[in-house]
Amino acid sequence: MENLEYERLAWAVLFGHIAIIVVGGFMTVLSQSLGRALVGLIMTLFGVAGLFFLMAAPFIALMQILIYVGAVSVLIFFAIMLTNAWPGGDESGKSPGRKYIYAGLAGLVPAVMLATAVIRTAPPSFLVPEETEISVLGRFFLEDFILPFELISLLLTISMAGAVILAFEMRRKK
Amino acid sequence: MIEAIPTPFIVIFVGLLAVMAFVGLNAVVLVYLERKIAGFIHRRPGPYEVGPPCFPHGILQPVADGLKLVGKQIFTPKGADSFLYWLAPMISIAPAIVCFIVIPFGPHLQVINTNVGLILILAFTGINVLALCLAGWASQNKYGLIGAARDISQGVAYEIPLLLVVLSIVFMTGTFNLFDIADGQGAWPWQWYIVYQPLAFILFFICALAETNRNPFDLPEAESELTAGFHTEYSGMAFACFFLAEYAYMVVAACIMAILFLGGFQGPGAPGIWWFLAKIYVLLLIMIWIRWTFPRVRFDQLLNICWKWLIPLAVLNLLITLAVIAL
Repeated sequence: MENLEYERLAWAVLFGHIAIIVVGGFMTVLSQSLGRALVGLIMTLFGVAGLFFLMAAPFIALMQILIYVGAVSVLIFFAIMLTNAWPGGDESGKSPGRKYIYAGLAGLVPAVMLATAVIRTAPPSFLVPEETEISVLGRFFLEDFILPFELISLLLTISMAGAVILAFEMRRKK
Repeated sequence: MIEAIPTPFIVIFVGLLAVMAFVGLNAVVLVYLERKIAGFIHRRPGPYEVGPPCFPHGILQPVADGLKLVGKQIFTPKGADSFLYWLAPMISIAPAIVCFIVIPFGPHLQVINTNVGLILILAFTGINVLALCLAGWASQNKYGLIGAARDISQGVAYEIPLLLVVLSIVFMTGTFNLFDIADGQGAWPWQWYIVYQPLAFILFFICALAETNRNPFDLPEAESELTAGFHTEYSGMAFACFFLAEYAYMVVAACIMAILFLGGFQGPGAPGIWWFLAKIYVLLLIMIWIRWTFPRVRFDQLLNICWKWLIPLAVLNLLITLAVIAL
């Protein structure tokens, strides 16, 4: 009887987190002000962290908060402050309708691809999630999967290089 | 009805209530101490001696402060983003309360004993930077915006040596569990980690001052140049939230220092909450003492201290720790 109660609770928590993620996502793309959009993004990031908690991975959940909320969002905020993007600015007007369609497609394609991949190759999982020790997690990342793990950090380098190139091109136009 | 609620929820609920009371009481005590010590160091009696003779030493002053803050009118400035403007104080205070639930106050006094306690605190204290930026940005005020920009550069810069220093302690102990770290140290001062890591303690103290926006690093709210920085437009309880959060983060920083370097609840005689409280209050008194003794640094000095001194020293400390462990 007690297990049933816990299972119901787990479902409620799961859908609560999914609701937070979805609401945050819509707030990010639909809001007119960049500041509010960022708050929506942060809400989504928190929701994802909550899902990690639900899967008994508190280390990854806290890393999500530490890195994405504590560092990446703060840097995005810095960028927003430098752009002087007030709600009544140039970019706040309505966009043409086809842009919404493109944006919807751009969101849907990776969602469908990931969903099919996950459903087709569902990994065998536990009924009740088990907490992995941090040392095991570390071994996993730095011994078995060191190449993909290091490749992820390339992403940051690429985005940084991209930002620098964009800035240089803008300066050249002036 | 009560049996239907699982015990962990009751524990967390009661724990959160206790922690909120602790945060509030600490703020009252710290505001009083701050005024008292400021009056003493600067030789300016005022709030330091105010009140009728039956309440000596101005002990009613914190109550008067609290009543004033509760009674003040709060309003949204014209042109501000009202949603973000009111969200910011809440984002500032909420994570501070979460931090306390993993802190071991005594051998048996801890709400949740988790293996990731240290990371939880580091993750949730990082959110404060975001709250201060939101406050500065949403209030549509030049001073607020400058304060927010300063807060980001300061917070991001000082988080690096802070994390490196924490990492060297974690390498020594091999755990993120705050209880285990405190438990691994002995009762006597020469068995505490401050003896093995004196440089780390000093670096951590400086970074903690900067992260909690305390003097001499209180540039985001520098009164003499920015009116009040990020909270220029806030009044009443909204301002009190930021204020409460600042004191709460000070206490969190003192708790972490006490656990990582000073043996936490360990002490000669019997271990217990009294040792822990004594240690954090000594650290807090040093923080207040520093505030009323040193002048504020300039902003370029602030960043130079961090990037040219603290980060290289923190890396050096980490390398030495690793070398010693490897040997």
